[in-house]
Amino acid sequence: MRRWLILALCALFVIPASAQSQLHYDVQVATTGSVALVDTFPASFQAEKINISRTLCALDDLNALDFVVTDRSSAELTAWGDSVYSYADSEGTTWTIWRNRQESKNRSQRVLVQNGRNAFMSYVQQATAKPSHAVAWMGWILAGLLLIAGIVYGVVTVHQRRRERDLPSVQRETLRRKRVSRRRHIGSQAYLWLLLTVLYAPIALIAVFSFTESKILGNWTGFSFDLYVNLFSGRADAGLNSALIYTVVIALVAAVCSTLLGTLAAIGIYNMRARQRKIVSLLNSVPMINPDIITGISLFLLFVALGFSQGLATVCIAHVVFCTPYVVLSVLPRLSRMNPNTYEAALDLGATPSQALRMVMLPELWPGMLSGFILALTLSVDDFGVTFFTKGSGGLETLSTFIYSDARKGGLTPELRPLFTIILIVMLAILIYINIRNNKQEEK
Amino acid sequence: MSKLVQIFSSRRTWAWPYVLFMALFVVLPLILVGVYALTDINGHFTLHNFAKFFTHSEAIQTFVYSLVIAVLNTLICLLLGYPAAYIMATADFRTPKVMAMLFILPMWINFLLRTVATVELFNMCGLPLGEGALLFGLCYDYLPFMIYPIYNTLQKMDTSLVEAAQDLGANRWQCFWKVIVPLSLPGVYSGIVMVFMPTVSTFAIAELLTHNNIKLFGSLIQDYITTTDLLNYGAVLSLVLLIIIGVTSFFGDHDAKDDQKGGLV
Repeated sequence: MRRWLILALCALFVIPASAQSQLHYDVQVATTGSVALVDTFPASFQAEKINISRTLCALDDLNALDFVVTDRSSAELTAWGDSVYSYADSEGTTWTIWRNRQESKNRSQRVLVQNGRNAFMSYVQQATAKPSHAVAWMGWILAGLLLIAGIVYGVVTVHQRRRERDLPSVQRETLRRKRVSRRRHIGSQAYLWLLLTVLYAPIALIAVFSFTESKILGNWTGFSFDLYVNLFSGRADAGLNSALIYTVVIALVAAVCSTLLGTLAAIGIYNMRARQRKIVSLLNSVPMINPDIITGISLFLLFVALGFSQGLATVCIAHVVFCTPYVVLSVLPRLSRMNPNTYEAALDLGATPSQALRMVMLPELWPGMLSGFILALTLSVDDFGVTFFTKGSGGLETLSTFIYSDARKGGLTPELRPLFTIILIVMLAILIYINIRNNKQEEK
Repeated sequence: MSKLVQIFSSRRTWAWPYVLFMALFVVLPLILVGVYALTDINGHFTLHNFAKFFTHSEAIQTFVYSLVIAVLNTLICLLLGYPAAYIMATADFRTPKVMAMLFILPMWINFLLRTVATVELFNMCGLPLGEGALLFGLCYDYLPFMIYPIYNTLQKMDTSLVEAAQDLGANRWQCFWKVIVPLSLPGVYSGIVMVFMPTVSTFAIAELLTHNNIKLFGSLIQDYITTTDLLNYGAVLSLVLLIIIGVTSFFGDHDAKDDQKGGLV
């Protein structure tokens, strides 16, 4: 019975896998004389096959278009969508295909082919049933593996049952128990890995496609490090470069300020009387409970009311506001762990307060300060909501707000993909480092 | 001069700059939200903004819709996250820490990038963007926030209580429902708070995942607050959100957010 169930499950996987289709376009160019069909657009879009009709199109019609092919500078058309593919034809003219995301619900759409000053009309039809080869192959392989696994499992179980039939009932019972617990173990493991797969699928998608230079995600045009080279040689989008610099500057300023402020505050709070301490701790937890949007809006209103012009300074202040509580919380445990009398002892032995702070307190506190600093850095780099409301309209962008405005335009600057991959690796390294450090401390 | 030195050598005063800073940049702005909500554009006292909210059907509808989406998302996260946290905390892994880390790592990557990646995944598979994509994306973004606190409480749980229940004749289900679940409730509460509150207040995620077709309350606030003429009305909407957050964090664990990232370092 169970074997049939497994086979049925396998079949369930096979059907969607084979039916899985990717967005696929047939480009049909309407011409006055002949109609040329270019299949699997845009990967094998071939310029030679198009006979462009000499029908002029008013630029106002552009809003209704899904694809636009042009050799103009991109600046004129960005309002309708991002460039997704560009190629050079046999005569050496560069063409760009534009995709208008707003209209993507429509299954069949026109294409505007533009060359120089003239705009030409043609059509794009979206084929529905042609599965993309890669996805289909992956589906079949997965289905095949599942099928093999199912058959092997079935055969093994039948074999085991046959052997067990002659055993005494007590032994059979222990074997059954063992089997049940093993099955449970396998099931729970499978659940975890399935969840992880789903969690990491989008991340993996970006990481994998950072190694190809194609402008759109999902279009593999061969392995290359071009995007990484572009990112580090500053050839990427100018907005991305400045956003990166601002992100680093803001994160460093915010982390340094909040570490200093937070450490002083933690020492102060630790030495307060119980009631005072309770009030300040409550105050400390407010920015942590508030969601980003509330912190952002309330600070935005403050800056508006005070007449501050919003820019780098206001963003830095805002970041210090939500980073400092975390620093305070990471320094406080270190304080309660140290001997409170050592500072006084240092003073009694003739040290000035600053000497006592430097030579007695800081060596004890710095691990807490360091983790507070790292936490502040990551929180600041990660922040979107607060930055969005306090950055003003002066064109200041951090990485988060840049991604947001980029995504709103309908695409992702390709150089973000290698950046994202690098961030992923750095985060992984930091997490591993912290965990190793914590483990060592626990061992002590 | 000597008095000044005395004041600063008392370490209690070291927190003063921070208290001042917080009063100026945390307490005052929150008060200002209330002030803006109660005044018109010329700064005169008025209740008109509140009246507008209760008669503004778009705002009410968006508000209710956001609450429904947030509750749904919290429920999905709980249903998916609890078993994962339970398995991680109880199963004998060779490397339980690495497994937990793998679940937490996405939390440290910019959520906008993760959202854009989700959109691209949907585009690549040819799936339509909309309500389904919104729920998937929200769940994807906030699942780690549900798993982590539950995992934390389950891991710290006193296992001898479970053993005692087993010795006293409880079967697996009884053991789970009567011992483990009640013991893990604090973690569940903070998980719910950590998922529910950001979901209610999110504004960028919904926009990206639905091509701006579905508006959540956060987006509505953003629209009004960035329009100068309607700033006061935006303040009313923020106040409504603030009240919701106050209520949730009152019911939830007060230290919920401490678990968020601080717990890891």
